[in-house]
Amino acid sequence: MLGPGSARRRGPWRPRDELASATQELGATSREMFALGEGGGAALRSLDESPIEEDEEALREEDHDIDQFNEDTFGTGAVEDWEEQHEGLDDHAEDPDDLLKENNLAESISKLVIDSDLEDPAIMRAIPSNPPLQAPPRLNASMWDGPMVFGGIGNPFLSHLEENRMLSGSKDSILPKRPALGQDEERDLSDRAPPPRSTSPVIGSPPVRTAPIGTPPKHMSYLASQQPSILCPTPVHVRAPIHQRFSAPFNERMSPTQLLNLANSSLRAHHFQGGVTQMLNPLLLGTAQQTGRMSPSHFARMPGLVGSQLTAMKANLLQSRMGQMMPPVTGFRPYFSPATAGHLQDIRSSQSIFRADTTHLHPQHRRLLNQRLQLQNSRNQHRGLNGSAGDRHSRGSYHEQAKKDPYGNLMTQREKEWVSKIQMMQLQSADPYLDDYYYQNYFERLEKKQAALDLNSEGPKKERTKLITPQVAKLEHTYRPVQFEGSLGKLTVSSVNNPRKMIDAVVTTRTDDDETKEKLVRDKRRQTLFTIERTYSLVLEVQDLEKKFLQVSEAERPAVLEQRKSKIIQMYENLRGKQAHSTERVSDDHFVQIMCIRKGKRLAAKVLHLLSTEQAANVVLATARNLPYLVKKDSQDEVLPCLTEPCSLLVNRLPSSALTELLQQLTGSAQSSQPGSQFPSILQNKFGLTLFYVILSQGERLQSSEAASELMQDNRWTELVFAVTRELLKVPQASLAKPLFVPTNLLALFSHYVDRQTLNVLESKLQLSGKPR
Amino acid sequence: MPGSHPSCAGVTSGGAKMNYMPGTASLIGDIDKKHLVVLRDGRTLIGYLRSVDQFANLVLHRTVERIHVGRKYGDIPRGIFVVRGENVVLLGEIDLERETDTPLQKVSIEEILEAQRVQQHEKQEAEKAKSEALKERGLSIPRTDTLDEY
Repeated sequence: MLGPGSARRRGPWRPRDELASATQELGATSREMFALGEGGGAALRSLDESPIEEDEEALREEDHDIDQFNEDTFGTGAVEDWEEQHEGLDDHAEDPDDLLKENNLAESISKLVIDSDLEDPAIMRAIPSNPPLQAPPRLNASMWDGPMVFGGIGNPFLSHLEENRMLSGSKDSILPKRPALGQDEERDLSDRAPPPRSTSPVIGSPPVRTAPIGTPPKHMSYLASQQPSILCPTPVHVRAPIHQRFSAPFNERMSPTQLLNLANSSLRAHHFQGGVTQMLNPLLLGTAQQTGRMSPSHFARMPGLVGSQLTAMKANLLQSRMGQMMPPVTGFRPYFSPATAGHLQDIRSSQSIFRADTTHLHPQHRRLLNQRLQLQNSRNQHRGLNGSAGDRHSRGSYHEQAKKDPYGNLMTQREKEWVSKIQMMQLQSADPYLDDYYYQNYFERLEKKQAALDLNSEGPKKERTKLITPQVAKLEHTYRPVQFEGSLGKLTVSSVNNPRKMIDAVVTTRTDDDETKEKLVRDKRRQTLFTIERTYSLVLEVQDLEKKFLQVSEAERPAVLEQRKSKIIQMYENLRGKQAHSTERVSDDHFVQIMCIRKGKRLAAKVLHLLSTEQAANVVLATARNLPYLVKKDSQDEVLPCLTEPCSLLVNRLPSSALTELLQQLTGSAQSSQPGSQFPSILQNKFGLTLFYVILSQGERLQSSEAASELMQDNRWTELVFAVTRELLKVPQASLAKPLFVPTNLLALFSHYVDRQTLNVLESKLQLSGKPR
Repeated sequence: MPGSHPSCAGVTSGGAKMNYMPGTASLIGDIDKKHLVVLRDGRTLIGYLRSVDQFANLVLHRTVERIHVGRKYGDIPRGIFVVRGENVVLLGEIDLERETDTPLQKVSIEEILEAQRVQQHEKQEAEKAKSEALKERGLSIPRTDTLDEY
């Protein structure tokens, strides 16, 4: 089965037919043939567009036949219709680039080529240099076609054509456009040399290499000398030689794959003699300056060029590239140095070079290979550029580096930036305080320290390099599952986002009477735990709001305050429980439940800081009221002391009436005028005793400060203190807890109420004078 | 790309002293320097860091595998290493001036390999004895073969 292209061959293309059959004999599958045809077909496709009317009709007919044949053989859909695929790639529109007007020129040149007799390279050599002057714009075109650097001139063009025929068929969708340029030359010259096809019969396998992969170029020198005058080498010979003919810029860092490919392309380039070479050089120079679109890849095919010339041109290239920025890069312009902007062009240009041996591959494989080669090539080119251009630049550091470390800068600047870019992308977040809390905090602290230092030193403010990560707006991604068109019903495709439902998990509640009571208890505890968690989240939110408040503008601040307030109210409600009626007192039950849990106590400590005085007093009252019970519960955890600080802060703010009430509650003498039986247990607890002392201390302060002491007017206080003093005397010293701190004015307080003797006793007992135990 | 593109304050364009990602941990600044890398399987590699990528895959050049046994160590030259990022436990730059400033004694490869073999053997023996003792007492500790253990 012959591919679509092959059928078109008639007349001058007969040799190709022969080759086709020969290949079949070799055992190539029809697939390969098709691939072969693909290349030819693509090349010839443009025939349809070029003004050659003779075969147009016939060709189209043939096309149809061939397509039919293919369908018969391979079935519908098995064979990619590359023609359709490449339809869009074709540059129908006028090239917006006014500089080159390549299409017009292309046509004129193509006419030129047709006219001239290109049968014999010897004849080509004799052609005067008129055509070359029109060739330069073709250089741009040749970016896409790769080898076709000089349209209509000489052998390099000649020899590249077969390749190009192959290459053009394997255009990826990566290439946005493929200018319709003198493909007629290809048609004419397609019979010059057989295409560089591998003898590998297996689709997708790498091309047969006469040299094993990894062999450095040096080993091939013997072959080079053997074939100085090969015009149309057979495929086998193509691969092997010519490595050494590379000029200086191509350092040993190019992979052997690339070298082989280059050898391929430049093989025919070597045929011309010095005269042509000299023609080429000024051209190159001229074009480099003009178009600025030459890439180092073109140099590959100019083997006659001496290194120095090349480097000069490369310097030009660098400069010419400066002005070009590639659209895909715009988003990260600050990241990419201008020199790298033209890189993408390199990819495209070099893409075609290295495709020589990939035409027989499966399209997918080919694409992967190409991409890999692109990366390699770009790296190598860049390295090559860096190597040579770097030397030319007067950056001493680079030069020194290169001297000391020959393997240095293997990773190019561009690659480093690329990796950095990825890392930066990973740092983008919608809420940095959520995603990267520790980093943010650490740097804030650092900056504060630095600011403090700066203030002290008052010297010039040092500019610290700081990583600025942008805040990306949070995008809501609603996942829409994949839907197939034209399918009957809804096909379910399970993926990470919507996994397939494997189990039908149903919640069943056990209604067992025996378990009810335990369950209730469990549930209640669970409820409490939930409440604690919810309140904790509220605390965190309030903290965030406070931070936000500082950062947000003046206008938004009230809103933030409002949010904060509402959250605090919620917190309080959570803690104390909701009030059924406004007048009715809330039962302490809920609160006590929370306080029985370790986390609840810590939570209360945190919340106390945020509450208003009244609310806080309420909480502390409740605590005091239930303290004996809590003390009992806390015996294992011993977390109550965490409440000391907020409680003492609060107490110090309390007015006398509230203070009295608090003392009353604490001593348990709310109902009776005598301290409750539980009071001694409070004294035995660290927190209890400390709280007690704090209250007394505050009382003393109030007493001594106010002129007409409110406190003294209220009998309750005096009575309480008397009662308390009695209790203190009663309690044995050993059982007294060690308070967290002893306020200094307690002695003064007691001195108001007791006589000297008792005072001394109290002093020694409670260690009021501050002597260490 | 939603949002503004990232910018890096303090970046000087083009020069050799580019401040890559200040304030963060990035391997870019470590390129072309001699590093010591510890892998998950316990190997210690010393080589020049030539290339990294976003996964912290490393390309080490002129790599030497250093085996430590007791107070002795031996170097096995390995050439070029490409390490998959997930296998790296830690890595650190080697101060070339202080590189030789170790109390450890360098020995030949054969010697260190022999020492390592002996050490492994001893460890296995101890392990065996331990499991025997536990078995006698009716206890068994499940072997954690899949964890990174060396």
